[in-house]
Amino acid sequence: MRKTYLLSFCFLFFLQIVSAQQSSVKLISVNFQQATIAQFVNDIESKSNYHFYFDPVSFDSLKVTLQVNDKPLKSILDAVFKNTNFHYAITNQQQVFLTKGRQIKTDLAPGFIVTANTQAKQILAVADYTNDKDKKVADATTENKIYEIGIKTNSIKPGTATLSGYIRDIKSGEAIGGASIYVASTKSGVSTDQFGYFTLTLSRGRHILNIRGLGMRDTRRQIILFTDGKLNIEMQEQINSLKEVKISADKVVNVRSVELGVTRLDIKNIKQIPTAFGETDVLKVVLTLPGVTSVGEATTGFNVRGGSADENLILLDGATIYNPAHFFGFFAAFNPDIVKDIELYKSSIPEKFGGRLSSVLEITNREGNKKIFTGSAGIGLLTSRFNIEGPIVKDKTSFIFGARTTYSDWLLNLLPQAYKNSSASFNDANLDISHQINDKNNIYLSSYISNDKFRLNSDTTYAYSNKSIVLKWKHNFNTKLFSLISAGFDKYQYSISSTANPVNGYSLASNISQSNFKADFTYYLSNKHTINFGLSSILYHNNAGSFEPDGSRSLVIPQVLAQEQALESALYLGDKYDVTPNLSISAGVRFNIYNYLGPQTVDSYAPNLPKEPNNVLDSIAYQSGKIINTYAAPDIRLSARYLLNDDLSIKAGYNTLHQYLHLLTNSTSISPTDVYKLSDPNIKPEYGDQASLGIFKNAKANTIEMSVEVYYKRLRNYLDYKSGAELVLNQHIEQAVISDQGKAYGAEFLLKKTAGKLNGWISYTYSRTLLKQDDPAAGQFINGGSWYPASWDKPSAFNFTGNYKFTHRYSISLDIAYSTGRPITLPIAKYGYAGSERVFYSDRNEYRIPDYFRSDFSINIEGNHKVHQKTHNSWTVGVYNLTGRQNAYSTFFTEQGGVISGYKLSIFATPIPFINYNIRF
Amino acid sequence: MFMKANFKYSIYLVLLTTIVCCKKPYNPPAISSPGSYLVVEGAINSGSDQTTIRLSRTINLSSAVTLNPELHAIVAVQSDQNINFPLTETTNGYYVSGGLNLDNSHKYRLSIKTSNNEQYYSDYVPVLNSPPIDSVNFTITNNGINIYSNTHDATNNVKYYRWDFQETWIFHSNYDSGFYSNGDTVLARPANEQIYTCWGNDTSSTIIINSTAKLSKNVLIDNLLTSVPSTSIKLGSEYSILVRQYALTADAYTFWTNLKKNTEQLGSIFDAQPSQINGNIHSATNPLEPVIGYISVGTTSSQRIFIKNRQLPAWLPTPAYPNCQLDTELYVYYAPGAKTPVNQVNEFINYNKGAQFPLIPVSPISRPGSPPLGYTAAEPVCVDCTLRGTNIQPVFWKY
Repeated sequence: MRKTYLLSFCFLFFLQIVSAQQSSVKLISVNFQQATIAQFVNDIESKSNYHFYFDPVSFDSLKVTLQVNDKPLKSILDAVFKNTNFHYAITNQQQVFLTKGRQIKTDLAPGFIVTANTQAKQILAVADYTNDKDKKVADATTENKIYEIGIKTNSIKPGTATLSGYIRDIKSGEAIGGASIYVASTKSGVSTDQFGYFTLTLSRGRHILNIRGLGMRDTRRQIILFTDGKLNIEMQEQINSLKEVKISADKVVNVRSVELGVTRLDIKNIKQIPTAFGETDVLKVVLTLPGVTSVGEATTGFNVRGGSADENLILLDGATIYNPAHFFGFFAAFNPDIVKDIELYKSSIPEKFGGRLSSVLEITNREGNKKIFTGSAGIGLLTSRFNIEGPIVKDKTSFIFGARTTYSDWLLNLLPQAYKNSSASFNDANLDISHQINDKNNIYLSSYISNDKFRLNSDTTYAYSNKSIVLKWKHNFNTKLFSLISAGFDKYQYSISSTANPVNGYSLASNISQSNFKADFTYYLSNKHTINFGLSSILYHNNAGSFEPDGSRSLVIPQVLAQEQALESALYLGDKYDVTPNLSISAGVRFNIYNYLGPQTVDSYAPNLPKEPNNVLDSIAYQSGKIINTYAAPDIRLSARYLLNDDLSIKAGYNTLHQYLHLLTNSTSISPTDVYKLSDPNIKPEYGDQASLGIFKNAKANTIEMSVEVYYKRLRNYLDYKSGAELVLNQHIEQAVISDQGKAYGAEFLLKKTAGKLNGWISYTYSRTLLKQDDPAAGQFINGGSWYPASWDKPSAFNFTGNYKFTHRYSISLDIAYSTGRPITLPIAKYGYAGSERVFYSDRNEYRIPDYFRSDFSINIEGNHKVHQKTHNSWTVGVYNLTGRQNAYSTFFTEQGGVISGYKLSIFATPIPFINYNIRF
Repeated sequence: MFMKANFKYSIYLVLLTTIVCCKKPYNPPAISSPGSYLVVEGAINSGSDQTTIRLSRTINLSSAVTLNPELHAIVAVQSDQNINFPLTETTNGYYVSGGLNLDNSHKYRLSIKTSNNEQYYSDYVPVLNSPPIDSVNFTITNNGINIYSNTHDATNNVKYYRWDFQETWIFHSNYDSGFYSNGDTVLARPANEQIYTCWGNDTSSTIIINSTAKLSKNVLIDNLLTSVPSTSIKLGSEYSILVRQYALTADAYTFWTNLKKNTEQLGSIFDAQPSQINGNIHSATNPLEPVIGYISVGTTSSQRIFIKNRQLPAWLPTPAYPNCQLDTELYVYYAPGAKTPVNQVNEFINYNKGAQFPLIPVSPISRPGSPPLGYTAAEPVCVDCTLRGTNIQPVFWKY
C-alpha cells in the first residue's frame, strides 16, 4: 500500500509535469461517459488553466460518468471522487494533485512559518522541557525515520547539544549495557552503562547514529539535533536466519575505546565454550583470555597479569562475591541463565573500583523481561537449573529468578563402597527486581545466595556459603548528570565440622561480611569531557576463625579469634577527555582511606626485627570503634588512546592500586577454607602499579580484531608466607607472613574473529611473575633474597577457543589450552641434623610441574528455528579433555616406612563425556 | 529403560574416572637423581671442651639409608691469623679435637677438604661465649613436666641463644632377673651384671632457640626446653637432664629459625612453601653448591638437674612392653597325656641345648632347702634393660 503511494508521487512529480497560469476560479462544464482518467484530465485541462498531477496506474480503474454545467473544479472533483478512495488537492497555483488513499495538504502546517508569536511559544517550550515531568520520550524504532531531538527551530543554531536516553531490547524491555553508539560524521562514540543509559554530546544538526550491542542486531538512527533531548532506542535481538552471516557486536570498541586490557564477553560466547560436565561456566571462559591463568584445574581462583588469586574483585551486579565457585572450584557459582555478560578489567581499571590489585571481574545479570513471562530450564549430568522472569507491572517493574541445584548425592551412591560416605551438594539462587519509578528514577534490587556442602569419603563436612543483597537507585538529574546510589551487604562463611569421634567433635568456622555504600555520579560536561566522581565506603567485619566443640560429648576447648573490623572508604574523580577526534585521555584519581577499628588487641614489635613471638614489645587493647590506625593513599588511573586511522589505534595506561583485604592461603590454589585478614598496624596494605601499552587493529570490516598489549607491573608489600606458617586460628598472623616485592611483565597477543561461520579467538601470552624477599627485618630471605617465580608464574600460555557453525542448528566448539607448568618447590634430599632427620628443599619454586595441555570439544544442537514457539530447546554434547592428558593438579610427598615418595594428583585425567539439555519457554 | 540404564552408567563412569584414577607416582628428575650435598654439624668450642664436627651427605629421598657419613676428610679450625687447629677423624664422620683454648679476639672458620679434594670453608665467625645458665628447673603440669632454663648475660654481648640437651633416666625391666644361662646351664647372676636397673638416654631432636633482642634487659626467664609426659618411662624412677647453652649471632639465629621452620613440619608438604636453608659454609670452587650447616664459635655452658619420681605426683609410666608375662620352665615336665618328660629349661632357656629364642631366667622354682625344679623366665625385652639402655652407671649420676 505504502509502496504504491510513494510510486504515485514519483509519477506525479517527475512524469506528468504540465504547467499553466490562471488565478481566478473558473467554472467548467463537462460530460463524461465511462471516461478514463486521461480523458477526464485532458478535457478539464483544455477547458481551464488547471494542471493535473497524478499516477495513471493508480487511476486506471477509475471510470468517470458525469454531467455538470458551470461548476467550479472543486465541485466536479467532489462529485467524481465521491465514495471512492481517491482524493484531490488544489493549490493556489492551480495545480491539482490526484492521489489514491491519502490526501495531500497544500497548506503548510500551522506554525511552520516562524512568526513572532510562535517564537515566543518555543522559548516557553524550552523552559517547559527542562522541567520535563511527564513528557513522553519517543521510542525510536525506525531506521529510516529522521527523529527530531529537542525543540525544533527553523534554523539550526551553531553549537552543541546533548542527546541521552536508554537502549533497550525491543522484546523484553531489558536494558542493553555496553552497547556502542558511534557517530560516523564526528568519529565520536559512547557506550551505554549497565542500565543501558547513554549520553552523547554532538554538534547540532543532522547525524546518523550507528548502534551496536552484544548479541543485538546492528541498527542506526537518523536524528536532527536541535537542542538537548532524549532518544530511547530499541534494538532487536540477533536472530540469525539460516543463511545470514552472524553480525558481530562491539566492532569498533576494540580500536576506539580509551581502555586497555578490558574484555567484555556475552553469555552467548560463553555458552559456546565446552566445560567439564557441560555446565556453562562464566569463570572458565575468563581463563581463555590472554593474561589470565590459574594454578590448576578445578581451582577457585584465577591469576590476572601476575596477581595472586585474591587480587581480583569479583562483582555480581555490584555485590562482592568472596568465593565464586562451587564444589571446591569445579563450577562457577554463577547461573548462566541469569548472567548477561561479564567484563574483565585487567589494566584500565575505572577509578570507581578499588580495593584489589589485579583486576575487576564484573558480572552483570539480566534484567527481567518487562513485557512477558519467559523462563528456561536445563538438565545436566550434575546440576539442573531453572529460571523465570517477567513483568510485575508491565513496562515498569520486572523480576528475574534463577536457581540451580545439584543432585550428585545419588550419583555418589552409585560409586563403590569406598565412596559410600561421600556426599556433595550445592545450590545457588538469584532474585533480581528492577522497577522504573519514572523516567528519571529507577530502582534495582539484586540478591544472591549460594551454598555448598561437601563430604568425600570421610566424616569431615565442609560447608560454605555466599550471601549478597544490593539495592541501587539510579537517578537522572538532567540529561547531563546522573547518579547511581547503592547500598549492599555481602557475607561469606565457611565451616568444617567433624563428629566422627564424639570426644573430638569440632566445628571450625570463619566468616567475613561487608556493608557497603556507594554513590557514583557521571556528568557529561561537554562533548569533550565526561566526568565521573563519587565515593564509596565499606565496613568489614571479619571473624577469622572459631574452633568450637560439636556435639554434647565433645571435649574440645573453644577457641575464638577476635572479630576484626575496618572501614575502607574512597573518593574519586575522573575525566574522560576527547582532546581531538583522534586523541582521548581518561584520567582519574581515587583517594583511599582505610581505618582499622577496635575493639582489638594489637601487638607491637621491636623495630627492624622479625615479627616473632620473641620480639613482641607490647600488646595494646583498643576500645570498640576506636581507630587503631589509618592508611591513606591516592591511586592514579590514566589511559590514553590515539587513533592512527579508522581501524588502528595505540593505547597506553598507568594505574596504581591498593589492597587492604588479604586472603591467607598456604596452598597455591584458593580453597574455601582460606581465611581473610584485614590490614592492621602490622600488616601493611598491598600496593601495585602497572604501566601498559597496546596496539589495536581491526580488519576485514571490523570482523577481525587484533591486539598486542605489553605491561609491566610492580608489587609492594605483597603478602607471602613464612615457611611452615600456620594460618588457621593464628592469633598473631603477622608472625606467619612476610611482605615481598614483586614484578610482573608480559606481552599478550589476541586475534579474534567475531563474524562468519567460524568465530572465536586465539591468544598467546608470554608473562613472568617474580617475587623477591630480601628484607632483613623479615627474618628470612627466600632464595637468598633473589627474584624467584611466583607459584602462578606460567611463562607461556596459549588458548584457542573456536566455534564453527555448519548450519544454524548445528555448531561445534573446540577449546585448546596450553600453558607452562607452574613452579613448585621440591624436597630433593634428606639428611640428619640437630637430632633428627630433615628434608632438603630446592630453591623455592625452582622446579615446575609438567606442562598443561587440554582440549575440549562439543556439539551444540539447536531445536527448530521458529522464532515464535512455545518452547525452544537445545542439546549440548561434548567431551572434556579430549586427549585424556593427565595434567598434574598438585604434587605432594609422603613418607612411608622411612622412604619419601612423590605423587602427582590429576583431576579430569581421562576424556569426560557430557550431555546437557536446555529448554527455554 | 535402556536409555536410563545407559545414562546411569555414563555418570558412573564419569565420576569413577574423575575421582578414582588420579593419583600417580611422580618422580621428577630432581628427586630421582639429586646431587649429594655436604652437611656440616657442630660448633667450634673456643674453650677447654672438646670440639666435635660431624660431616655427612644428603641422601636420596627414596633411599632407606638414614645416614651417609663423609669419611676421610681433612678438617681444621683456622683463625684469621692463619693458625691451623687440625681435627682428627673418629668414626662415622665425626671429627674431634681437644680443648682449643682460642684467643677470643680473633675470628675463626672451619676448613674442610673432602676425600675427593673438594674444599669448603665456613665464614669467619667471631667468638661468642655463652653466659652461664642461671638455673634449670621444672614445673608440674596436668600432663607431665615442663623443663625450663633461665639465663642472663651481664655483658650484653649475647642476644640469641640455642640449647640442646641430653636426658638420662633410670628405668627398670619388667622383671628383676637373679639368674642367667651360659648356654648350657642356669647360673646365679653376679651383682655387677644386673640387668634390672639401667640408664636410658636421649638427645634433643628439636631445635630450641630464643632471643632477648626485644627485651630491655638481657634476661631469659622460664625458657621452655622440653616437656616430658607423665606417662613417660623417663619419669618412672629418676630423671636427669643436661642442658647445654650456645650463644648465637643474629645471623646464626636466623639460620636456626629457618631450619626449624622448614624441617620440623614434615608430613604436610602438600603445597607448602618451604625455603632452602642457607648456612655459612660454602664450597671454595662452586659458590652455588648448597652446603647445609652453620658453624658458630664459642664456649658452651651447661647445667644438669635431677628429678626424682617422689618429687612428682603419683604418675604411672606406660611400660614399654605391656604384654610381658612370666613362663614357668621346669627341668621335668610332663605335657598333658605325654609319657615322656620334657626339659623345659633346656628347651626354652639354654641356647646351646635347644632354645631357639631363649628366655632369660628370672627366679627359681624350688621347695625350701632343695635345688630348683625350674625357673620362671621371660622374653629378653621384658628382663634385659640393657637392650634399651646401659647398666653402667654414668659418672655424673648421683644418688
